[in-house]
Amino acid sequence: MPAAVASQWRDRQRRVFQSVFQTDVARSAPQTTQASRFTDPGQTFSTPAASLPGHSLHPQQPYQTHYGRGRTLPRSGQHSSSRRTTPEPSFEATAPPLSTTAANDQATYDRAWHVVTAHIALPSSATADDSFGTLAAESQQQSSRRRGDADASEFHDAFALLINASTLLPRATHTDDILAWHVRQVRAHFAQHVIPLLAGCVHDGDGDDDEAGDPGDDGSGDGRWRVVRKGNHYERHMVTVMSSIRTLEAALRLYFYGLNQLLSGFNRLADSSPELAKDAELLNTRFRRDAHALVSNSASEGLMKSIRAVLIRLAGTILGIPSQDEHRVGGGQAPRPAPPGPDDLRVQAARERLLELVQQLHNVGLAGERFQVLFAEVMDSMMSAFVTGAYGGVWSAPEPGSSATMDTVSRSGSLSATSPCIMSLSDWVENHFARLSFEALACISSDPQRPLPVSLADVKTYQSLALGRLAALRIHELFDIVLAWPASRQALDDLRATITTAARRKQLTDSFSRTLQIRLLHPGRSTLEILQTYISIIRTLHALDPSKVLLSHVEPSLQLYLCHREDAVRVVVSGLLASPEEIRAARKTKEAMKRQREKPLRDGPFATPTMPAASSSTPRDRPRRDSSLEEDENIVPLNDNHSRQSTKLVELALLLNDPSQNRRMAADLDEDLDWNDMNWVPDPVDAGANYKRPKSEDVVGTLISGLGSEEVFIKEFSAVVAERLLSEPSRFDQELRVLDLLKRRFGEAALQNCDVMIKDVQDSRRVDSAIHRARGGQKRRALATPDKTASNQGSEEMEYHARILSRLFWPNLDREHFILPQPVLDQQKRYEQGYQSLKSRRKLTWLNQLGQARVELDLRDRTVTVDCNPVEATVIYAFQGAEDDGDGHAPPAQKSVDELYEQLQMDEDLIAGALRFWVGKGVLRRAAGSKSSYMVAETLHDPAAATTTSLPTASTQEEEEQQQATTETEAPEASAATGAKPAVSAKERERREIYWRYIQGMLTNVSATMPLGQMAMMMKISIADGFPWSNEELQDFLAEKVASGEMEIVGGKYRLVKR
Amino acid sequence: MSFIEDSQNSAPDSVQANKLGGARKGAEPGQNAAKRLQTELMQLMTSPAPGVSAFPSADGNLLSWRATIEGPEDTPYSGLTFKLSFDFPSNYPYAPPTVLFRTPIYHPNVDFSGRICLDILKDKWTAAYNTQTVLLSLQSLLGEPNNASPLNGEAAELWVKDPALFKTKVMDRHKDIEDD
Repeated sequence: MPAAVASQWRDRQRRVFQSVFQTDVARSAPQTTQASRFTDPGQTFSTPAASLPGHSLHPQQPYQTHYGRGRTLPRSGQHSSSRRTTPEPSFEATAPPLSTTAANDQATYDRAWHVVTAHIALPSSATADDSFGTLAAESQQQSSRRRGDADASEFHDAFALLINASTLLPRATHTDDILAWHVRQVRAHFAQHVIPLLAGCVHDGDGDDDEAGDPGDDGSGDGRWRVVRKGNHYERHMVTVMSSIRTLEAALRLYFYGLNQLLSGFNRLADSSPELAKDAELLNTRFRRDAHALVSNSASEGLMKSIRAVLIRLAGTILGIPSQDEHRVGGGQAPRPAPPGPDDLRVQAARERLLELVQQLHNVGLAGERFQVLFAEVMDSMMSAFVTGAYGGVWSAPEPGSSATMDTVSRSGSLSATSPCIMSLSDWVENHFARLSFEALACISSDPQRPLPVSLADVKTYQSLALGRLAALRIHELFDIVLAWPASRQALDDLRATITTAARRKQLTDSFSRTLQIRLLHPGRSTLEILQTYISIIRTLHALDPSKVLLSHVEPSLQLYLCHREDAVRVVVSGLLASPEEIRAARKTKEAMKRQREKPLRDGPFATPTMPAASSSTPRDRPRRDSSLEEDENIVPLNDNHSRQSTKLVELALLLNDPSQNRRMAADLDEDLDWNDMNWVPDPVDAGANYKRPKSEDVVGTLISGLGSEEVFIKEFSAVVAERLLSEPSRFDQELRVLDLLKRRFGEAALQNCDVMIKDVQDSRRVDSAIHRARGGQKRRALATPDKTASNQGSEEMEYHARILSRLFWPNLDREHFILPQPVLDQQKRYEQGYQSLKSRRKLTWLNQLGQARVELDLRDRTVTVDCNPVEATVIYAFQGAEDDGDGHAPPAQKSVDELYEQLQMDEDLIAGALRFWVGKGVLRRAAGSKSSYMVAETLHDPAAATTTSLPTASTQEEEEQQQATTETEAPEASAATGAKPAVSAKERERREIYWRYIQGMLTNVSATMPLGQMAMMMKISIADGFPWSNEELQDFLAEKVASGEMEIVGGKYRLVKR
Repeated sequence: MSFIEDSQNSAPDSVQANKLGGARKGAEPGQNAAKRLQTELMQLMTSPAPGVSAFPSADGNLLSWRATIEGPEDTPYSGLTFKLSFDFPSNYPYAPPTVLFRTPIYHPNVDFSGRICLDILKDKWTAAYNTQTVLLSLQSLLGEPNNASPLNGEAAELWVKDPALFKTKVMDRHKDIEDD
């Protein structure tokens, strides 16, 4: 027992002092009473018996209390001279010489002291909850009453003696303040008996709760998780709290009994001196405050945790935030938080329970600062939990019928400009959150004079706090909002209303850029997906911030990434050129989408993202092609999007035709003159220096400028247009329309090439018909000589049309050499003659690989008609040639790649591609036993045909119609351009060849040996169009050359092998 | 867009026209010497002439090139390889490059420090010439020296009088230089 040790220690000390100063023995009576039973009064409340050794270092003032240092108990001089009884236990020379009267006075005083202290002494032993408490206190009281007035009068006499010791017993030198003594005794009692009991309560409640000991869960930010984890143990925590409260109540009753005794003593004396009555009042409140401070300072962590758990549970119920264990029992989806209705009995019960609890806590002194901090934390986490729970992923107001709890007032408000989420959130804060805060704090604040604990200004603060949380939530969700556009329009309203400061805007862009990096800008996303998301981002952020400043902050990373996607421009261009059919299809799905979106509006669940019908019918809705499953999902996953959509960026074609997108031109012109713009607002604060306010969304413009320079875009555009002009049979309305629209954007000059291309194609149609007319005349004449027609047979029936292109204006025209079938060559020759008669001094250069052919194949059991390119037609024609002689019993024609290569002088890759094409069509099949040989599949369902000869039937093939692109050239040797688009492999091969020459030139002239890095650097600076390879690609390329013996590596450097 | 100064070419797509024109003639005046040299280099690479090659020097400066000429057959220089350096002025092609033989060469029109006496590198230079034409001219100069204005009088004399001795002098003088 530390106290016992302490008292022994102090006894010894005292003996030492006595031997030095020769003080009287008798005066130690009060101190012995005290010292034998209580711990040292100088200790702090919360750490009993811990600072004893330290105390012993200051023997001069061993009994100066903690109070005495100016905190609570008054120094007597301040109030009444009669109470100048504060012990001055100094043993120095101030002590007067002792006399007999002094000894008598002292004895009297000590006796009185003893009477009083015995009367109010606390029970010395209390081992269990029940052993002291109400009964103990009351029985003591009762017994004291039974003992009759004799005791009482004795007590009061003694008390009067003690209080007025300075006058009645002037010679008693060693006196003490009885009240301070009581305080000390209370403190000691509390430390020795009550705190262990409290610890027992907490321990019982906390024992099985593993998570309660988790040191990391003290933060206030994870309120929702607190709900999850503590909810389970709510009952146990409740028991803990209640038993603690009961224990404390009992103890306090005991303490106040003693106080009341003292006070009644005061009251008696008050008759004689009215000052004392005032003092008594003051002392009463002071003691109460001290006791409460004692309790609240000694409340253990475990108890606070329990209180927190209970508070979370009750406040959660009151505020409509479902605790996690409820739904765990029920299974299935966690219910979303919703403001509870006014008639909810559970809520009412919880509210009563909570207020009662707060009142009780207040009564026992646990509602001090720590509790208030705790309460604030709980409320704070409640707000976070409500915002994230109720509005996370929900981008519109709850349906009126779904939860039946929405206040009608706030419902009507949702039709106004403010977003329904904000309305309902404000409503919740005002009617539930603030109300609970008010009620709970009203219980705590005992002082009726103070203003209301929660003022209206506070409510406003709460609301703005809640809006801040909502903003943070929406910022966090922004990427999903973008994906779900335009269904997520409501969420943008939330954001727009909450993103009001530059800091929040910065937060938004930063957070969004981070999300982009994680979720979009990585190799797992196709360029099409990225571009679609980009469009959504443009539209979303424009809707959020028409000044486009936010967009400009987000864009750079996206643009930078798109620069690495080589196909980005192509995707955009082909999207722009989407055919009317594709647009129609997109429109149709959009309609379907809209219908399906309206359905959940009527009967959808609470969590479905819906939007009011008014905004869903606006014309700027983006088309949704994936309409089937979406209405069940809060967030549209990008992957699902991907699996169900077409491969084109049809949105762009739609946007290009959208008149609202094209307002830019007109608006830009009179921007500075538009004095009548009543919607004008100043530029945002975070706008850049060269900021220019855009007037419309202008998705296409933003997208194109995002892809780099206009030049790049136009170049790619002409390439795509060229391809389409050459491949599409006749009509190019779409191209013309897109061209017109683009001209408005980029100007006539920029797109002149495309104009020329289109004109070329139109012209060549005229020329073509002119040549055919001319030849038709010849043919008719030729028909007159029957033998010629007979000799030409089928080939003469072949139609042949050509397109004449202006070489300078067409991108990437390259000649691919191969030998066309003889009939086609004849046609070409005749066509050339016809052309030269039409336009003298001009020469045609044939581009054999461009164009289209319709091939009709008469096979043994079927006839196949295929539209293909000239390469493929040429290859299949070669199989016919092989069979011509074997008219009778020949097996199906069989050719190897090498044979074809010799015969056609065609590039092997093209041959292989064409063979694959025909195998895919079921016309050719691989010959058995040979890797590179192919044979005609004369019959469809006879795989044995490869080995067995079947009935010989001549297969004839005729090419009916062939269109061939030609270039019109002034100089015949004109094919120096680099690579053709259709044959990417050929272009790539050519590029590699050129690079190889660069490398050779480098190693020949500059330095015979070079390291990889230097070579890459040299390539980069010396190639005008740039060197797109990375060092790794170059290394691979060089490794090939090393493998083929053209290069070698010496000491980490490359060099050419000398021949 | 650069087609404004590109007045001689009526093609509207200046990029395309530039490239094609440059590749075809190689003599189109460009304001940027480096650009022009890149174009010339591309031309050298895509349609190389036999026996000559050139490339920008290792320091990454496009205005400084290294070139190689193989001695033509049927000349005393047959089988030898000569390294040259080209230094292009910043207003190239309006001024000729400074061309030096880095490989020691015994030749009537080349002095012992490698300087070359060739009219197209001096007063006869026009912007229509390019690196390749210069290299080809130099290659032909090896076989047909201009003995009327020799830098190396002895060589000019021996070329006419004693081809065998000339050949010996050529072989004596020639030595493969190390790469720098």
